[in-house]
This record gives sequence, structure tokens and C-alpha cells, in this order.
Amino acid sequence: MNARSLFIPATLFLVLAFLIGPFLIIVAASFSAGETLAFPPQGFSLRWIAKVFTVDSFRASFAMSMFLAVGGTAAALVLGIPASYALSRYRLPGAEIVRTIVSLPIIVPGIIVGLALLRYVVVPFGVGITPALFLAHTALILPYAVRVVSASLDNLRSDIEEAAVLLGSSRMGAFFRVVMPNIKGGILSAFILGFVTSFNQVPVSLFLSGPGVRTLPVDMIAYMEIVFDPSVAALSSLLAFLSIGIVFAAERFLGFSRYV
Amino acid sequence: MSDAYLSLEKLTLAYGDTVAVGNLDLDIGKGELIALLGPSGCGKTTTMRAIAGLLPVKSGHIRLDGTDMTRTPPNKRAVGLVFQSYALFPHLSVYENVAFGLKLKGMRGSELDQKVRGGLTSVGLSSFADRKPAELSGGQQQRVALARSMVMEPKVLLLDEPLSNLDARLRLEMRTELQRVQKETGVTMIFVTHDQTEALSLADRIVVMKNGAIEQIGTPEDIYNRPASAFVADFVGFENIFALDQGKLKTEHGLADPSGALPGEALSAAGLAWRPRMVTLGSGPFRGTVRGTSFAGDRREYLLASDLGPIKAEVDASEPVHAPDAEIAFDLPAAKAAPLKRFA
Amino acid sequence: MFQNRAEALALVLPAALFAAAVFLVPVVILLSDGFRDPTGGFSLAAYIEFFSSPLNQAVFLRTLKLGAMVTVVSAVIGYAAAFAIVGLTPTMKGRMTGLVVLPLMISPVARTYAWIVILGRTGIVNQAFQALGISDAPLRILFSETAIFIGLLQLFLPLMVISLISALENMPKDAVPAARVLGANWFQVFWKVILPLTREGLVIGGTLVFTGSLTAYITPAILGGSKVLMLETLMYQQVSVANNFVAASVIAFILIVMSFAANILLKRVATARNKVRSAK
Repeated sequence: MNARSLFIPATLFLVLAFLIGPFLIIVAASFSAGETLAFPPQGFSLRWIAKVFTVDSFRASFAMSMFLAVGGTAAALVLGIPASYALSRYRLPGAEIVRTIVSLPIIVPGIIVGLALLRYVVVPFGVGITPALFLAHTALILPYAVRVVSASLDNLRSDIEEAAVLLGSSRMGAFFRVVMPNIKGGILSAFILGFVTSFNQVPVSLFLSGPGVRTLPVDMIAYMEIVFDPSVAALSSLLAFLSIGIVFAAERFLGFSRYV
Repeated sequence: MSDAYLSLEKLTLAYGDTVAVGNLDLDIGKGELIALLGPSGCGKTTTMRAIAGLLPVKSGHIRLDGTDMTRTPPNKRAVGLVFQSYALFPHLSVYENVAFGLKLKGMRGSELDQKVRGGLTSVGLSSFADRKPAELSGGQQQRVALARSMVMEPKVLLLDEPLSNLDARLRLEMRTELQRVQKETGVTMIFVTHDQTEALSLADRIVVMKNGAIEQIGTPEDIYNRPASAFVADFVGFENIFALDQGKLKTEHGLADPSGALPGEALSAAGLAWRPRMVTLGSGPFRGTVRGTSFAGDRREYLLASDLGPIKAEVDASEPVHAPDAEIAFDLPAAKAAPLKRFA
Repeated sequence: MFQNRAEALALVLPAALFAAAVFLVPVVILLSDGFRDPTGGFSLAAYIEFFSSPLNQAVFLRTLKLGAMVTVVSAVIGYAAAFAIVGLTPTMKGRMTGLVVLPLMISPVARTYAWIVILGRTGIVNQAFQALGISDAPLRILFSETAIFIGLLQLFLPLMVISLISALENMPKDAVPAARVLGANWFQVFWKVILPLTREGLVIGGTLVFTGSLTAYITPAILGGSKVLMLETLMYQQVSVANNFVAASVIAFILIVMSFAANILLKRVATARNKVRSAK
């Protein structure tokens, strides 16, 4: 083997070891029998994985994160699909301004969004923490929803809507009969991307927490500050496998990466 | 024409503030096969989209079968359109594509089935009913699109560049198909094309358009042999075109006498035009130098540089060959020339 | 393209108004706080105060420095990784790209905690160092700039690699062989051919990595601890510990300006290149 043919496997090994190694260590640590988070794991047991399901705060914050990820993504899609449709199909003055406003939450640091919402929406208008979190997550997912749905709309010829109209369909009927079925994949991809983004999101939720109201990642950080046992590793592994599984299935059946 | 089936009256169409078609008048009889011919940007597609109702009319009227449908929404017009890209619904099978409009009309059950199967059979695709559009060739997709429009029994069928995406063999097949459908159903057909051979071979009448206005309306013979303007002449292959000034040809080097007496109808013409085939080589009052030559099977084409300007000639390949740079005599016989009513 | 303006507005307004109400307006008000004096007039006092503190200066410079370092190092590693992956067979290329992207699906909390296990006093790095005799007492790697740097690099490297993979794939196939035939060595090929042709991908990747590093919270919070602060963690402290909302507004503004500046700067680099290309 000469130097160049060694270059490719060596580079790949080192880069992937750096990127994925830490995750594997977390997975290994979650099967530890020891009391603290450590690697190599001391012995083998499933006790920490079992413990994850018994921690009350995890259950509550998991439910909260699920609600935000599912509900926020759904709301972002309800707002984002019509907007993407208008941006892709209509000659609209100020389209660029709309695009910018809608995509700003990606650029502005999440911690600022969270603080601004807390100070100028939650406090003055007496909005509860849960609705505030919902609004924040919806705003955060909206840019992704618009981007992914726009991409799949741009891949779809607009003359099929005209064809449907000429065959007797109304404009809205044409949207539901011939556009929606053809951007299903894009919408589902947007849903998955939004879900994962929301579920893993911390900075936005940081200031938006109250007694008993916390998202799962924020709760995990709080738990680790008190107890440094492998249950957070176990929980992280479970969540990671869950999201990898969803994304893998999406790629397999939908060609997820076409849209993202 | 007061008995027009479809008439466009002072039709003005615009995209935003840009006027694409201005003050257009056109009458079309029932069962006619009309070609809208012109280069891209001439307004032919815009006009077609307005007839379909896909583009709002700025001013003027569109009347079809006795009713004004200028403001009728496209889904209530009974106008069919076969898109250039076919615009088949990718998620539906061939059968469902054809059934789409019928179902919206409320047709169900055996009546629907009969109608759809009949439509597919008429375009020779009955065995493809369960396929998805992506599994068909371009020609087959176009026939599905045709069947999808025809089962709706439209009053007018519009076709956007119906032959341009097909290869030479399929083109002939489709041309025959369209003529047959038109003959069997008697539907009024309007198709848009930038290809003169397509228009000449298919249409009953050709409407040549330029810059959002009609340049000439006529039968294929009219358009081909008697172009009304320099633009039409150039578009249908007259490559040697001259303006006339007091009975003389206007050239880059001043006025030149035409060869022979002008025919009566040419006396008032604004210009004269010759196809390359109408140029005589080897004799005549003009002289030119051979600048280029190319062999085209049974014919040979020459490009000459002359006092009249560049001249394109085309002669039988059996005639004597003229070498490059040779100086030869040629003739533009006035008797053969097509007189042009307008030059600009 | 449909023409109906009212229809288009009806479709687009809910999203635009929502984003404006939930996001734009509150953030703008928050940012304006830092420019007001106690009477409500315009004032830069908060900014002068912020930048006159040596601690804040250090945090500001550290944030810039770490952002720049992570961007540069990820570009170097990114090119190597992208080259290696682009040269593979299509199947392997897909799998390797999948593995590179995989960490993006995993919670940053989990990814950051892994580094505590690896870099901690009894972590595997220290175990290895001691076993190899490199050091005899455990090194203090956690709660340092090094730890934050490693964490951020791991977090954002995938974004750089995928940007560069697509840039390399969009490069004209014959450019490199052509340069080789014309006598360029590998260094010249990279510098004169590959780099200019993939600059757009580098710019996109660079923007993502830099703004990502700037605005990451979890990594500096966990791996930097309460002493080694970056702007985001400083802002959190100002709010939750010091209750100083004016300082938080100042930091927020600085963060946004830095993100936008990086964004615009890198975009201009990319368009400058486009102009050169279209002028040719």
C-alpha cells in the first residue's frame, strides 16, 4: 500500500472516530453496572436503562418535549405550507421580505429568542410557560418547514395545478387533489426535521421553564448537575436510537435527504 | 365573421404592467384546426392561456359558442389544454388521470369506466391503464394527456407545442393522431407552435403572430406562398428579402433594378422575397462570389456575396458545381418573387 | 406563476405575522433595551460599560477566537474528509455521508456529556496519558477552552463536511486532471483549482460552523463550566444570576451583529467569485 491509498481509509477512520466515538462511549456507558458515568463501563447491567423510565421528571419533561415537537411542528407546517405555496407559485411583491422574516429564527441565537419571549410576551401578556414554549418552538421550526416544503414544491411542475383546474377542479381543490399528494414526502421530511430540531433544542427553552415545566434536554442538564449517574447516558442513547431510527426509515422510504 | 364559434375581440393581455398581447381580434369557426405560429415572446402562448382562462384578460372579450366567457373561471369553460410538458398527475395511474375530470363532473360507476376505457382505447393505450405516468414514454404520456382532455368533450381543445418534444417518427404519428381525433370528434383545435413545418402540415388556418399582434392569417398555402410581410416571409423560409422603393430593390449599395418586369400585384408591394430555391445560378443580370457551399443530398446550397448583399441559393445537386470564390452570374426572377404587402 | 395578489397575501400573511409577533417584535424590543438610558433616550452607555470590563473583553475575544479556530480547523479536516468520501464508490459514499450526518440527529446534550466522560479527570484520555507515561497526574482538560473547542468542533464538523462534499461533487469533472496535465503539483492543484472552485461550499460550511459556534449554548455551558465563559453563557449568567437585562441585551446585540456580519461577509466572498466567473 502506498501513502495515497492509505490516506482515504485513515482519514475516514479518524474523522468518524471523532464524530461518532463519543456517541458510542455514551451507549457503552449506559450499560454500566457502576454508580457513576464512566468509560470503560464497570460491568454490564440494564439497571440504568430501566431507571430512565422510573424518574418522574423525565416522564413529565419527555411528554412536554413530545408535545412541543409534535405540536410545534404541526403548527409550523399549518403556517408554513400555505406560505411556501405562495412563495413558490405566486408573483408576490415583497416575497424576499417575507422569506427573510420567516427564516430569521434560524439566524438569531435561540437564547435571545427565549429571553425576548419571556420578557415581552410571557410577562406583559401573562402567557403561560407552556403556551410560550409552544410559540417559541413553532417559530423556531417555521424556517425549516418553509425551506423543506418550498424545495419539494419547486421540484413539482406547477402546470399540473392548471391541468386540474381546466379539468374542472377549483384552485383549492387542485391543491388538495394534485399538489398535496405529490409533496407528501417533503411534508413528512419537514415534519421529521422539525421534530428532531425541536426535540434537541435547548437555548430557546432555557429561560422558558417554570416549576414542573421543562423540556427534556433542559431537564437532563438539570439532572446531571445533581446526580452524575449513567441514567442520562441511557436516556440519551434511547433518544438517539429513536431519532436515528426515524430518520433512517424516512430516508429509506421517502428519500428524506432530497429535501433537506 | 358573425358566425364565429370562438371569437377574440380587442383582446389585451398583460403580465403586471407589461402588455404581452394588444388589441387582438380573431374569429375561429367551429371544427377548425388553427395554428398560432410565431417566435417565442410573440404572445401566442399568452393568447392560448387567456382562452383557457389561466390568464386574466386586461381588456376585450372572449366569446365561445355564443356566450361571453371573458370572466368565466377556467374550471367552468369547457376548454381543454394539452400542456407542452403534458402535466400528467404523477401520483395517479393513467386510468385515474383520464378519470380525473369526469369524476369531478360527478360521473361514477360503469358510465365512468366506459368513458375512461373508451378514451384510452381511442389513443391506443388501453393496456397501459394501470401504469404511472413516469413509466410511459414521452409520446405515450402525450396521448394520455390528449385522452384526458378529450373525454371531457371540450368545446375547444388547446395544444401547447404538441409536436416539439417528440422525435421525428413520433411526430408524424402524433400529427396523424391529432388530425384523426379532430376529424372524428369535430372539436375545434387551436395549437401553439414556433415551428412552421408543424403549422403548415397540421393546420387548416395559420395565425402568424409577432410582438403580441397578428401579422397574417391564412391557409398554409397562403402563408407559405404569399407571405404578407417581411417577417412572415423570413419565418417561412424566404431567405432573400428586399424592400421595394419605386419599383426598385433596396440594397446595402443603393437601389437596384429587378430582373424582369414586376407582376401586376407586385407594383404596389412594399417588398419582394425569394426562397433559395427560386434563385437561378449560372445566368442572369446579377453577379456574385461564392462564399460558402454545402451539400444537402439532392440539393446544394450556396451563399453568395453580391452587390445586392448576401444571397442564399439552393439548386439541384445534379447542376454543375461552383467552386468557392468563383464569380458567377445569378438571377432573382421578378416573376417568381413573392410580393410583400408590408415590409416592416 | 399565478397573478392573484390577494390570494398570495392570504396564504403568506399568517406565517409572516406569526414570525413577526412571536419573534421579530420581541427581539427588536429586547435589542433596543441596550440603547436606552434610564430616562428612555438613546445612549451607548451600556455598550461602553460592557466593553470596559476586562472580563467581558476576554469573553468577547474568546468567543471570536474559538469561533474562528473551530471554523478554520473544521475546514482543514473537512477538506480531507470530503476528498476521502467523494473518491468512494456511490454506495460507500452514501453510507459514509450518512455516518457523518448521523451525529446531527443526536441530542447535543448527549454529545456534549460524552466529552465529560472522555476528557474528565478519570476519563479515557487521562487514563491513556498516565498509562503511556505522558503525565503522572491527571491533566485538567475539562472546563477549559480546549474542551469547548473540541466539543464545538465535534458538534459542527458534519456541517462543514457535507457542504464541502456537495461543493466537490459540483466541481467540473475535468478541472483537476486538466491542471495536472498542465503541470501543476498537488499543492498547486488544491490552491489554484480546487479551492477557488469549491469556495462557495466552503463559505456555506464556514457560515454554518462559525455562527453555530458563536451561538452554541450547551457546549460552553457544560465543557467550559462557570469560569470559562463564552458570550452565550455570559448572557445566561447576566440574566439568571445578575438579573442584568441591559447587559443581556448588549450581548444579544453583539451576538446578532456577529452572526449577520459573518453571514454577509462570507456571502460577499461567494458573490465576488460569481462576478469573476460571469465576467469571464
